[in-house]
Amino acid sequence: MRKVLYAVIGLAVAVALWEGYKVVGSPDGTVLFGVRVLPRADDLSMPHVWTVLDRLGRPELTGGRPVWIVVVQACLFTLGITAAGFVIGALVGLLLAVAMERFRIVERGLLPYVILSQTVPLVALAPLVAGWGGTIMPAWATVSVIAAYLAFFPVAVGMLRGLQSPSASGVELMRSYAAGWWRTLVKLRFPASLPYLFPALRLAGAAAVVGAVVGEISTGTRGGIGRLIIEYSREATSDPAKVYTAMLGAALLGLVVAGLVSLLELPLMRHRRHVEVVTL
Amino acid sequence: MSAVVVSSVTKTFNQGRTDEVVALSDVDLTVGDGEFVSLIGPSGCGKSTLLRLIADLIPPSTGTVTVAGKGAGTARKEQAYGIAFQQAGLFEWRTVLRNVELPLELRGMTKAARRTRAEQMLALVGLEDFGGHYPAQLSGGMQQRVAIARALAVQPPLLLMDEPFGALDEMTRERLQSELLGICAKTGTSTVFVTHSISEAVFLSDRVVVMSARPGRITASITVGLPSRDDAGRQSPAYFDKITEVRQALRGAPLKTAS
Repeated sequence: MRKVLYAVIGLAVAVALWEGYKVVGSPDGTVLFGVRVLPRADDLSMPHVWTVLDRLGRPELTGGRPVWIVVVQACLFTLGITAAGFVIGALVGLLLAVAMERFRIVERGLLPYVILSQTVPLVALAPLVAGWGGTIMPAWATVSVIAAYLAFFPVAVGMLRGLQSPSASGVELMRSYAAGWWRTLVKLRFPASLPYLFPALRLAGAAAVVGAVVGEISTGTRGGIGRLIIEYSREATSDPAKVYTAMLGAALLGLVVAGLVSLLELPLMRHRRHVEVVTL
Repeated sequence: MSAVVVSSVTKTFNQGRTDEVVALSDVDLTVGDGEFVSLIGPSGCGKSTLLRLIADLIPPSTGTVTVAGKGAGTARKEQAYGIAFQQAGLFEWRTVLRNVELPLELRGMTKAARRTRAEQMLALVGLEDFGGHYPAQLSGGMQQRVAIARALAVQPPLLLMDEPFGALDEMTRERLQSELLGICAKTGTSTVFVTHSISEAVFLSDRVVVMSARPGRITASITVGLPSRDDAGRQSPAYFDKITEVRQALRGAPLKTAS
């Protein structure tokens, strides 16, 4: 209940800031030393919140479907791509982390490349991956690959940290039970890594959304919210509220993904909920 | 048959490197069946190293370790000993009961059998009502009792303890000492107990083995034999005599009964 209240308050503050800036801000923006440090506050650059909401209800084109339906459908399409990318990325990250934990030499050899992979600009990578579309995989899957490429990184790094988190005495205990590598992984390292895994999964979820949106744009895949932002932004001069409806959709998509990922924790982190200490 | 036989064992860490350390030098130790032996000595004397050698957590550089007539490695694979460390080291994502079940689970015991056994063990340490709690909900002393229950769960003939009460307050410590003695008497378990505390070593042990540092070696072995192990025992003259004897042995003063 309180959480809902905070969410509503947060939303109200965001709207108040937007509208407040429109009241006090200069319509031409604030320019300092030839650089625009604050954006234009006119209706063309920053339409009123209610204009954007109103635009959601009106048809996309004359006689077409209302914008909100188009946006929701695009979001669902991108959600599918994101989910596929997230799952692939998380699995790859998990496997890499386990391999790096198992073999010191893999960690030394691979970790620099894992980090390097994230410095390759996505726009340079996208055309290569886009070429796979239609031949070895459907076009939407190429976008998932890009999302996975961004999503695997936090999981690999976070999970490695988590797998290495058990204390020496925990590892010795498992050794004293004559447990081999696999059983130590299942009984000790994996459960111990969960507090590291979940924040990593949240980052991966956010990265997968960014990857999917950017991937759609740079591979030219149709039907998703990323593509919709580009399409609507072409009409920004005549219909400025329209592009904001698509951005709103993208933001909502991010929230939904973050929410779904945090739902994963609930069954697995039961022991973290009780905190009362008994003293005897 | 002796519970533990350590003969001519030497342990050198980082052999052949500039940071080479001789942790143990030519150590011989025999622990009889049902005997309670404490290892005491200054920090860095290798008492924990000796315990880890017996547990086959690290291999000796030279010499042999035998546990219950078998090589230390075989004994470990057969779970012929239970071990407890200074930190309780419970798995925080498991309930108390499931923590005690862990070694049984790894032995492949059926679910019902290990539940019954774990409940018995918890009753032994007086925590039968806390099986459903998570470790974070328990005080340090209770966590340590769970760790002891876990070490005893496979009903091992040998119990290895590395300063298990080191992080506890004096009152809890004394209570757990009495409980431990009761359990060992009841189960007939042989025990090797590493400690810093002279009074703890004397109160608990049949024999106190005194070690010295650099290189780690055994300098004295003092048989205790208190008239009784209770509050009267803690106040008996024999108790204080033995404390003095151990203290002198630790300082390297002349010994009366070194063996």
